[in-house]
This record gives sequence, structure tokens and C-alpha cells, in this order.
Amino acid sequence: MHEVILSVGIDIGTTTTQLVFSRLTIENLASSYTVPRISIVKKEIIYKSPIYFTPLTSPVEIDASAVKKIVELEYAAADIKPDQVQTGAVIITGETARKQNANLVLSALSKMAGDFVVATAGPDLESVLSARGAGADLLSTEHRTVVANLDVGGGTTNIAVFERGGLRGTCCLDIGGRLIRIKDGRIDYIFPGIARLASRNGLELRLGSQADLHQLRHLSSLMADQLAMALHVLQADETHPFLYTNQGHPLPEQPLIQAVTYSGGVADYVYQQATGDWYRYGDIGILLGQAIQDQPQLSRLKRFIPAETIRATVVGAGSHTTEISGSTIAYVEHCLPMKNIPILKVTEADETDLDRLAASIATQLPLYMPEGKPEPVAIAFTGRGRSGFSEIQSLAKAIIQGAKEVIEHRHPLIIVVENDIGKALGHAIRVLLGKPKDVICIDSIRTLSGDYIDIGLPIADGRVVPVVIKTLIFNT
Amino acid sequence: MDAKDLRQIIEQVLCEMNITGDSGQTGSLTSAVQSALGKSSTVVEEGFIPDITENDIKTQYLVDNPRYGDAFLEIKMRAPARLGIGKAGARYKTLPQLQFRAAHSAAQDACFHDIDLDYVTDKLGLFYVQTECENKDIYLTRPDLGRKLTAEAQKTLREKCKKNPTVQLVVSDGLSSSAVIANAADLLPAIVQGLASFKIDVGTTFFVKYGRVGVMDEISELLGADVTCILVGERPGLITAESLSAYFAYKATVGMPEARRNVVSNIHKAGTSPAEAGAHIAEMIKVMLDKKASGTDLKF
Repeated sequence: MHEVILSVGIDIGTTTTQLVFSRLTIENLASSYTVPRISIVKKEIIYKSPIYFTPLTSPVEIDASAVKKIVELEYAAADIKPDQVQTGAVIITGETARKQNANLVLSALSKMAGDFVVATAGPDLESVLSARGAGADLLSTEHRTVVANLDVGGGTTNIAVFERGGLRGTCCLDIGGRLIRIKDGRIDYIFPGIARLASRNGLELRLGSQADLHQLRHLSSLMADQLAMALHVLQADETHPFLYTNQGHPLPEQPLIQAVTYSGGVADYVYQQATGDWYRYGDIGILLGQAIQDQPQLSRLKRFIPAETIRATVVGAGSHTTEISGSTIAYVEHCLPMKNIPILKVTEADETDLDRLAASIATQLPLYMPEGKPEPVAIAFTGRGRSGFSEIQSLAKAIIQGAKEVIEHRHPLIIVVENDIGKALGHAIRVLLGKPKDVICIDSIRTLSGDYIDIGLPIADGRVVPVVIKTLIFNT
Repeated sequence: MDAKDLRQIIEQVLCEMNITGDSGQTGSLTSAVQSALGKSSTVVEEGFIPDITENDIKTQYLVDNPRYGDAFLEIKMRAPARLGIGKAGARYKTLPQLQFRAAHSAAQDACFHDIDLDYVTDKLGLFYVQTECENKDIYLTRPDLGRKLTAEAQKTLREKCKKNPTVQLVVSDGLSSSAVIANAADLLPAIVQGLASFKIDVGTTFFVKYGRVGVMDEISELLGADVTCILVGERPGLITAESLSAYFAYKATVGMPEARRNVVSNIHKAGTSPAEAGAHIAEMIKVMLDKKASGTDLKF
């Protein structure tokens, strides 16, 4: 068995907007004598768009109709129709994510682009996607080491750390190539955080003044130092904590980072020597890339070549957002696909006791009912240690008890469980309910409180469903 | 016997051996006896001897001074295998040697022990019949007899079982009674519940002692079931002795090609968990009924 699904990735960043199409190959890796085990076995990029500057109507507003036009154009250029695309993600990243009309742009795109799945990225998700796109996770597995990917873009640097293939931490800093813009040899824009970094280090930057190469080089090296501090290879100074995007969190101090990859628009100038006009992109991106290349502490780390640089995020969005559910699940097809369903997470502590599990569902449900009306919600927990038949029965009873309000309403009862018990649990709930009710029970999917989930149409002869887990929109 | 008695005996023996018992020698002899007695006196310790069968061989790595021990361990996590267990000279180390023998014993027990029929009737709630095998030896040496029911068994089934059920379920010890004990109580109700969720009717489930897979064909003909499914203990191995398989076929007949059967194997706690396997089997049976075919005639 062998099946291919088409996935799209659209990345609307601070500086650039890009699109890729990829082909995900799905295969049953188990023999025909055992229960199937379906996985994504191959991810290929089949089309890459040119890199567009993100159209803006003002410094704080994305030009939604212009973005839409770009996307339409690229679908046509790739000769792909929206209804051929089964999964994927649109993400608005970097400083642009703080733009006022981001949500509006997303909804405009999702309506136009057919039935595919739309996701929005907070900085954490973006860090992970760009690192996967750059291949840092694979490098950390192959070399059995700890690799950090630094996606240095126009507005932010997104960092994700992988240890032997496992994600260990993410963070996001306001360090990027377009935080200072140069026009006609003069400074045209200074991001407030960078102005603060400059003045604390005795650098006078004034809007409209002549761009001074020596001064901007110094500033770029200060920015590169901040990246070294974020990786804990240089002692953090007092300015450092203020540079995290949206007052975000730093990386954990463990594990110690052994190697780095760089992606994002600035990355090409980390890996090569620049020549010619320093300001050819109208910003300090090239200077920042060179400063990172020369930063002493960062230079001591092993530097791997990434699979993608400027396209890392869009490749991550196109190829690495979709997961496959476990291969033994229960669902009713007419309910699917479902999009943007909030996750109601039962904590692991509440899960240990079935009465508490039921109570946790019951007390949390009203939070997912704006205006008191039930909305679709997915109830999620690990289900760890409950693999036996009788344990599954009591678990099913507790869910039915806790989710009474969902069951009485017309929306399907959606369960997302980590342990591989989805089908047995789904059957148990169906039989215990004893009345017609749409039940969707998928497994082998890990979620966090505050996540949203998209569940696609079944694939692989109906064995599995594609799933996209989206973390909180814009991390605000 | 106390120290004094022992000393006398030893002195007597030494005398008989013509060794003169001067005072110096006797003194040292006394202390030697006392220290020997002191060492051999019983000491009661609290605690347990570790159960070597509790060791998970996936996480066991016993090579001394390895260069890439961590990497080897990661590879070992992927499948249970007796690799990277070191050696003592040309031989196994003691622990792996004992573990190997324990696994072998478990396999033999699973295969040679008759199933506890009280478990079948009380815990699984099934009545039982027997094949033409009179005992384990005949069962192991005459596979053909393991596929035939005794005349009495046939009579019992005619009396007790529902005729022409949509699905007939059968449990059998096969080559591992341990597999039935370990999994049937989770697997059987999961299949029944799965079928119930599709509103598929199930006949009267029973147990066959000394059964081979092929016995399902005779049962299918006898009771006229659309789908017959037998849960049977697999030949035990050195990794697990508790693995169960489900064989099932649409309108099975005696002498039909093996290719008409479907199987889900490796049902045990470290393989496919019995409850989830049961739910999966129920769904495969549903497809079988919908398409009126099984084995290679059926594409899942």
C-alpha cells in the first residue's frame, strides 16, 4: 500500500511571502499479518514559488488582496487546483504576526484556497517549523548531538533545539535583518527594541541620519552577541531579557548546544562572504549575517549546512505540519473534515482518577461554549496505563459522564488520546451510549492545552486521518 | 549438634588417623571449628531475589567499556533481541544465560502445560469441547487430529450453540496455553463489543482444548456461521510465550485453501495490545461480511 497526499505551505513573513507544494507519501509499514502501522515515509517538495516581498498597505497592515493574488498566481503556475490539496498550512510569521489584520488575511486565504487546512503560527510553532524545514532535527539524529536552528529573518530570530531528533526547547528574539532599514543611504526605520540595545551600548542611531557602516557593523555584532546569549554560550547581559518576542521565555539551559544550523533570509550571509553593496536589500541583513559568522562563541559551535535557508519556514509549513493519526481509530466519515477545533485537555493529574477526569471535562466544557451554546470541542488526554478492556470500559463511562453536554448536542463527540486505544475506546463509547451519536476517537496524537486541531478526510483506505495540531495563535 | 559434640567427633577422627592431639593443635582446631560453625549458621535476610524475567532485554546492554554504548542501546530499543549482552570468555555472562534459560522454560511451560479449565469456565465464561487429541503428546505429534472434533464435541456444539450465527467466535489453547490466559479476557470482549457497535450478531462462543487453526473449518461447517474466528495461542518463542493470533475466514470449509484465511498475529502486551487488536479484528470481520470474501480474495 502506498498513497500520496498533496500539501501546501504558505508563509507570510515580515519580509517575504512564499509558497511550496509538497508530496507526502504514506505507507503501511506493518506486514499484512499484523495490525497496520501507517506512517508518512517520504516528503518531497514538488514546487517552490519565487520569493516575494510581503505586500503591506502600511507598516502595520498586510495587503490581504495582494497576498491573495500572489497565492492565486502560484497555484496557477504550479498547475494545481485548490481542491487537489488535501492538507497544509498558511502561517503568518515573524514581526508580521503582530500586524493588526493578520487574522483577516488568514481567513481570506482559507476561503480561497479550497478545502485545505489552515494554521496560524505563534513564535514557538514557527521555530519548530523552520528548524524542521532546515533539517536540524534530522542532523541531530544523524550526528547524535544537540543542534539548534536559528532562523534569522527580517523581524525575528526563531530558535529551536533538537537533541537526537527530540525537541528540547524553542525561543524567539527580536533580532532580524530588517529591524533597521536603509533608504538612499539613510536610516529609514529603527525597531524600538534595537534602538534600546544600541543606546545601552553607547551607539547613537537617529532616524534619517546617514547610515554609518562602522556603527551598523558594531550594532550587528551586538545583535549576534544576543543570539550567543540566547544559546547560553555567552553570559547574558541586562538587555538580553527584553529582546524576547512578546516577553517570551528563553531556552532551557540543558541540554548544552553542540551544533547550529542557520536558516531564514539572513542565513545565506552566515555561510558565505558578502561582497558588493552592503545595503542592497535596504536593511542590515547582510551585516547581521556576517556578524553572526564572526561571533566568537557561535563560531566555536559546529556549524552544519541546513537543507533550506530562506525557505526553511515555508518548507516546514508545507511538509512538516501534517501528522498521521494512529492506524486503529474510530470515526464517522460524514463529520470530516473538521477545522479549528479547540482542545479541552485533561491534565495528567486529573487523569489518574476517573471521577476527576469526568469532573475535569464537565467543568472545562463551559469555557468552550461562548454565549452558552455548545461549539465543537476535542477532549484530549494521554490514556496512559489504560490499555486493558475493562479499563477502557471505565474510561468510556467517565467520558460519557463528563461530556454529557456534548453528547446531548448535535456536534460529534471528539476524543484525542495519546495511548493506542482509539478504536477500542471509540467502540466502547458507541456501545455504552446505546443511541446514535457521531463519535470520533483518534489516537497517537499528542496535544497541549490551548491547542487547536484540524482533522482531515480519512486516507489509506480509511485507516488513518491526517491531523494538524496548531498552537496558540500569535502567542499573545 | 553443638560445638562440643563436633569437637569430640573431630578429635576422635584425628585420633583414629594417628594424629596426636597435643594441646596446641586442639586449641587451633577448636577455633577452626567455631569459626566454621559461625559462618554456616543461618542468617535470615529480608528481601527478594530479583526476578530475572522482569528484565526488559530492549534496555539491557552489558558490554564492558563500550565505545558507543548509548548508540547501541538506542538501536536495541527498536526490537527485542539478545544483542550487546557482553561475554565472559567465550561464553555468555551469567545473567543473560539465566534469562535465556528462563525464557526457554516459559516457552516450554506455555507449550506443554494443559490449560486451567476452571479459568476457561469461570473467568472467560465459556464451556469447552475437545478435539480428537487425547493428550498433549498426541496433540503435538498429530496435527491432523487437532483439526477434528470428537463425536461428543460435535454433539455438544449442536446442542449448545446458536445455529447459523453471523459470527462464530472460538478460543483455543493451540501451542500456548499462557497466551490464552494472558490475552483472551481483554481480546474476546473487545471483539464482541466492536461487533456490537456495528450491530453484528455473535453466536455462542466456546473453547476448544487441543485445537489447531484448521478446527475452525469444521466448526464453521457444523454451525453454519458466515464468519468464523478462532483465537489461538501461537508457538511460543524466546521473546514472549504469550502471543495470541486471531484467524478468521468467510464461510470456512474443511479442505479450503489456506489463502482464504486472514490473520492478526502478535497480540500480546508488548505487541498489539489485546483490546485494540480486538477492535481492529471486529472491523475486519465487518469488511469481510460486507464484501462476502476473506483471505487473498479480500483487499482491506
